[in-house]
Amino acid sequence: MQQFIDTTLSGLAQGMVFAAFALALVLIWRSTRIVNFAQGSMAMATTFVALALIQAGWNYWAALAAALVSGFVLGAVVERVVIRRVEGGPELNAVIVTLGLFVAIQAAVAIIAGSSFQSFPAPFGLRGFTIGGNTIALTPNRVYVIAAVLLTMALLVALFRFTRVGLAMRAAAFGQEVARLLGVRVGRMLTLGWALAAVVGSLAGLLIAGGSFVYPAYMDSLIVFGFVAAVLGGLDSPIGAVVGGLLLGLALSYVSAYFGGSSVVNLAALVILVVVLLVRPGGLFASTVARRA
Amino acid sequence: MVRSSRRLVRVPIAVLAAATVASGLAACGGSDDSGGGSGGGSDAGAANEASDVGVTEDTVTVGAHFPLTGVAAPGYSEIPTGTQAYFDYVNAAGGVNGRTIEYEYLDDAYNPTNTSQVTNQLVLDDEIFAMLGGLGTPTHSAVIDFLNDEGVPDLFVSSGSLLWDDAEEHPTTFGWQPDYEIEGKIIGQYIKENFPDAKVGLFLQDDDFGENGEKGIREYVDDQVVSAQRYTPGNTDVGPQIAALKAAGADFVAGFNVPSYTALSQLTALQLGYDPQWFYSNVGSDPALVGSLLNNFSKGKVTDAALLDGALTTEYLPSVDQPDNPWTQLFQKVWDASGQEGQLTNYRIYGMAEAYTFVQALQAAGQNPTREGIVDAVEQAGADFEGPALAPFRYSADKHAGVGGMLVSQITGTSSEEKTPVLTTDNGDAEITEYDGEPSTPPSSGIPDVEPVE
Repeated sequence: MQQFIDTTLSGLAQGMVFAAFALALVLIWRSTRIVNFAQGSMAMATTFVALALIQAGWNYWAALAAALVSGFVLGAVVERVVIRRVEGGPELNAVIVTLGLFVAIQAAVAIIAGSSFQSFPAPFGLRGFTIGGNTIALTPNRVYVIAAVLLTMALLVALFRFTRVGLAMRAAAFGQEVARLLGVRVGRMLTLGWALAAVVGSLAGLLIAGGSFVYPAYMDSLIVFGFVAAVLGGLDSPIGAVVGGLLLGLALSYVSAYFGGSSVVNLAALVILVVVLLVRPGGLFASTVARRA
Repeated sequence: MVRSSRRLVRVPIAVLAAATVASGLAACGGSDDSGGGSGGGSDAGAANEASDVGVTEDTVTVGAHFPLTGVAAPGYSEIPTGTQAYFDYVNAAGGVNGRTIEYEYLDDAYNPTNTSQVTNQLVLDDEIFAMLGGLGTPTHSAVIDFLNDEGVPDLFVSSGSLLWDDAEEHPTTFGWQPDYEIEGKIIGQYIKENFPDAKVGLFLQDDDFGENGEKGIREYVDDQVVSAQRYTPGNTDVGPQIAALKAAGADFVAGFNVPSYTALSQLTALQLGYDPQWFYSNVGSDPALVGSLLNNFSKGKVTDAALLDGALTTEYLPSVDQPDNPWTQLFQKVWDASGQEGQLTNYRIYGMAEAYTFVQALQAAGQNPTREGIVDAVEQAGADFEGPALAPFRYSADKHAGVGGMLVSQITGTSSEEKTPVLTTDNGDAEITEYDGEPSTPPSSGIPDVEPVE
């Protein structure tokens, strides 16, 4: 029983991490209709910014803020300088460019910061809570991760549903021509979408890193899992991304503990992806049936 | 010390560049020293010849593959810098039989596909005389057949897999460090004698490494093992595995895992409030490296930075925390003289010790070594090579296994305390016995002097 509880809690915590990353993918998809494979590298880069600042003596929260700001800048710069040139062309071009960015950013960070493992401090404790003499696999830091992801999700839902900017971003993504005719400054909206997505990605990177290890490739497996989580949830829905992340986290944790062990986890993730795409191609929370990519 | 060792593993590219330059310089300076051979058996009068591939009148070229980048790079990328430093030291003293040793190591990023590629380059383009200390079980397995087919001596593989000890199938391949099976046996016996009531959990890398170790441990405490959990390298979530060990009631966990997974298992156990007695095999236990991995947590809310304190491990080489050991003193001198960036680490000592054994093998192969000759020489004389290892090698015509013993120690801070004398054994049913030989001391020149075999 204790093992089941620990496995479940551990899966939920992992799932929240996947959800954090899936949220960033959803945001950029909603605001630009591009699946950004460079998201992981960009988040990793800002995590290294935070780590460098923490090692220079900054406190965690100041470093977090600095990382989010650098994420905003990085997202905007990438959109303006690189993505802008392939926007409006075939969609595949933009996707391939993000793949190229993914490799380039990772290599650049490896050159600057080295490729070895480094531990990343957590803002809250890493010891599990004790209930009735038993320590369970829920730590203060994991509570912080869960709260931060839920808050981010709520903010994103509010942004798209209740604000003019959110509406304009969705319009710019869906129909550039029409939006432009209606007075939406499409270029700015795309830049803003990239910048905000990079902020969410940076947050995800920092949440994932806290109390764990970072190295230039540490986001690689999370890119795959985060993508599966986002597709599970429909790629369009922040709530879907979080639910998808949690489902995936739980499923993989049970697979690792009870069905086949650690070596079949990646396989299980792909099986889940294929099954979802076969049974519900739009994802579990898709709002529209027709999709473009 | 912990801080600086992290700093130094962060610059493998710079180290590689420095090493390449150093090897280039060594090569340029080599011919000046020819004839000043310090090794044994430089018969006066006889001339040096280009006796085989990779051997000229005044050089011998050896190659290696190491992970200089990627997940396996922390720690392991330092090994070839140690080897380079020792060869520089030998070359500065005139080399072996008047030949300087040129050492070329390439990055395979711990990826077997890359290993095949760089090995092809070393053997076919660079025409190395021998492979020396190629690192890793999955990586080196990918090239072992090629090296044997080409007749390249495949000396002293940097891995404790049992695969390297097969004189019939792979006649040119030799292991070097104690294999994981005998390490498992020594760990198993230690548990049986000192923790007879412990419920033993195993935390294993899901490949040869974990498998060989488990085999050895189970030979002694099969009835005490309550759970064996395996992790796949690359999957960093070991929560389910540690939760399973805890649920099985294991109060003693023996790990056959790499250093980053030592850190991960400690961290996960902390989350679960799980506090068994840990025993990490030699590979996963370098306290300085694991400490540097866990170091940043102490800046967060983890107050207990010395998570590894009290864990048990095994040793078969002198280490940097034994400054009074004459071998450590020699290696410190060699490292300082090499002028490479960074401090002496246990990984560099490992690299130097391998280089030391190679120099012995080269001396034993005589004035004009051939590929076949050096394989014969290791088979005939290898068991008598005296070096920094705590126990002798097991080399013979039908046995290509490396060091045959180790001791158990307990980690205290970044240092360690010996818990047993040096114990020697062999694969299979062989008994574990206390090693009765004297601890070896290095020659005053710091360079071995082995007679050529006939």
